[in-house]
Amino acid sequence: MSKAAALRQTFWTPNVALLIFFMLSAAVFAFFRFFYGFGSVTNLNPEYPMGMWIAFDVACGVALAAGGFTTCLIVEIFGQHKYHALLRPALLTAFIGYMLVGMGVMFDLGRWFYIWHALVYWNGNSVLFEVAWCVMCYLSVLAVENVPNVVEEYKDRVNLPGPLRVFNNFVNACLKVAETVLGKVSFAFVLMGVVLSFGHQSSLGTMMLIAPYKLHELWFTPISPLLFLMSAICVGPSMVIFEGTLATYFFNRKSEVALLGDFAKFLPWFLGVYLIVRFGDVIVRGALPAAFQTTKYAAAFWVEMLLFAVPFIALMSKRVRFHGGKLFLSAFSVVLGVVAMRFNAYLIGMDMGPGWNYFPSVGEFAVTLGFIAFGVFLYKAAVNYLPILEKH
Amino acid sequence: MGIDRRKFLKIAAVSGGAACTALSGTAQASGPQVPADPGYGMLNDSTRCIGCKACQSACKQINTLQRESALPQDAELYDAPRSLSENTHTLIKMHRDEKSGEATFVKEQCMHCIDPACQSACLVGALIKEDTGAVTWDGGKCMGCRYCMVACPYNVPQFEWHKAIPDITKCNLCNEKRVKKGQATACATACPADAIVFGKRDELIRIARTRIAAKPEAYNPHIYGEKEVGGTNVLYLTKAKVNFASIGLPAFGYKAPPRLTEAIQHGVFKYFIPPVAIYAALGGIMYYNSRRHKVKGGQDHE
Repeated sequence: MSKAAALRQTFWTPNVALLIFFMLSAAVFAFFRFFYGFGSVTNLNPEYPMGMWIAFDVACGVALAAGGFTTCLIVEIFGQHKYHALLRPALLTAFIGYMLVGMGVMFDLGRWFYIWHALVYWNGNSVLFEVAWCVMCYLSVLAVENVPNVVEEYKDRVNLPGPLRVFNNFVNACLKVAETVLGKVSFAFVLMGVVLSFGHQSSLGTMMLIAPYKLHELWFTPISPLLFLMSAICVGPSMVIFEGTLATYFFNRKSEVALLGDFAKFLPWFLGVYLIVRFGDVIVRGALPAAFQTTKYAAAFWVEMLLFAVPFIALMSKRVRFHGGKLFLSAFSVVLGVVAMRFNAYLIGMDMGPGWNYFPSVGEFAVTLGFIAFGVFLYKAAVNYLPILEKH
Repeated sequence: MGIDRRKFLKIAAVSGGAACTALSGTAQASGPQVPADPGYGMLNDSTRCIGCKACQSACKQINTLQRESALPQDAELYDAPRSLSENTHTLIKMHRDEKSGEATFVKEQCMHCIDPACQSACLVGALIKEDTGAVTWDGGKCMGCRYCMVACPYNVPQFEWHKAIPDITKCNLCNEKRVKKGQATACATACPADAIVFGKRDELIRIARTRIAAKPEAYNPHIYGEKEVGGTNVLYLTKAKVNFASIGLPAFGYKAPPRLTEAIQHGVFKYFIPPVAIYAALGGIMYYNSRRHKVKGGQDHE
């Protein structure tokens, strides 16, 4: 019998110092971006108005946070309770991931102080409207789904520092109410989280279909929303495996390869179906010849395909699934595949016209790295002080 | 799951219903919004344009836009923009047709599409197709996400890259300053060569047809913008030996880009049936599995 518990290791390690370095460097560039405009930091230009902050921080961020809803789907809805140990870390990373997506959007909005306009000015025709609403709702759902961790750790043990002590009883009462309420309605949030994820994971695939004359035919397909959703389902378990392996390594924990390897048995199915639909679509639309020309588009397409196809074949073998290193590399390949797919659909596959080119600037990289560092920092803090990872 | 079936259904119904009412705005009517009167527009006759750029300076004047010098010093002296930008809403460019070698001056500005992709893309509805025919931007709503710039097939909307609080800028067909007062656009008024005709779109198409019919040897028989991307309020004529694609007006399809995305979007959210159906189906599966789990007495994860 095992149960989740806070790690309670030394928090301030040299690795954390490295994370803080990345966050600080991002903050420096953020200062210029917010006070001197995009031109002072980014390489964005009139024909490439959306760059890495959208393609990676938002599009990839949402996809890589798919571990939350896929694990929920497998464990809570399809009742595979033996993977229960994977649920809390998955929901935690999803929550952190979506928070970072929200912050990433703030960084990328020219008029960020109007971000609340999405709540009051509605254009139901806009794909982005749907994405914005689903992301906001899902972030709230994820926050609720993470409340039990806090309740479990602090119920009847609330001990606020200094003068805040007077609120101890009040906070404790709140935690108890939260526990009672959530015990009754948590299933509704589980379902809502999955439905909302279906909505915006797919809508992110519809986004670039508004530009039929810019997006290359290898990615311009009416079933793009379906492909985005399916690839999100592929990358969900892969992210769980990827993060789980890294967590065992960095927190010196016992290997979870028996559980993760078992969990990985879903992946060849997900990847296989995805690859069939992806290739089938390219062939049916007659876009296959474009994949055999010597263009950057064809190269980008095959890189994307291989990153999906190699783990598909590898993970069919039990030996790979239950071998820590090989399992990790396969999962990492799927992660990179989905990142490649998002970059292809949002940037590389977009021919925006002659005259302009785009490659992210040092500042854009610094901010993106800062976000990743912040995410890792929050994850480390959470697993250290909250019952996320299960004891062995 | 410490709840019985009836309670489950009740809560599921309530939360599903709440989601419905909260977002029912998404289920607006789709379909092409081509009005009987598409409003005003301009006919740019590139066979007549002499490249004097009077339209460009008229545009800068009425919109109080900064000059863009090609020289490092004297930035105020010469206005020589190279492309549309936050300071340049219209631009005369010379294009040379690759096949015939014919040189043509072409005016570039917002096409004021009948079914604009930017309007469909904008999540807060800051870009609006007005009754006058103009596509205008509302700074009181815009969040600066730049999705309109991605959506526009002609890369028209521009962004103020060097401002802390940037605007989206573009030609607004002089909507507030002139058209609503019954005047023609500033550029059309300034044109000394009669290369820009301002008027109702139907009237402009008629004029274009007359010009082509009167001098079939001088004109390319196609009226660009009559059907491209669902029709535009700014229309173009060009010389007989000139291909429209060579003057920066690619052979786009006749379907407006928002028709695909909106069909997908409204299909997926039709009366909110699909999301609610998925919610209910998954709820059913979850209920079945949790029952089975309980019957088994399984607490296999703990």
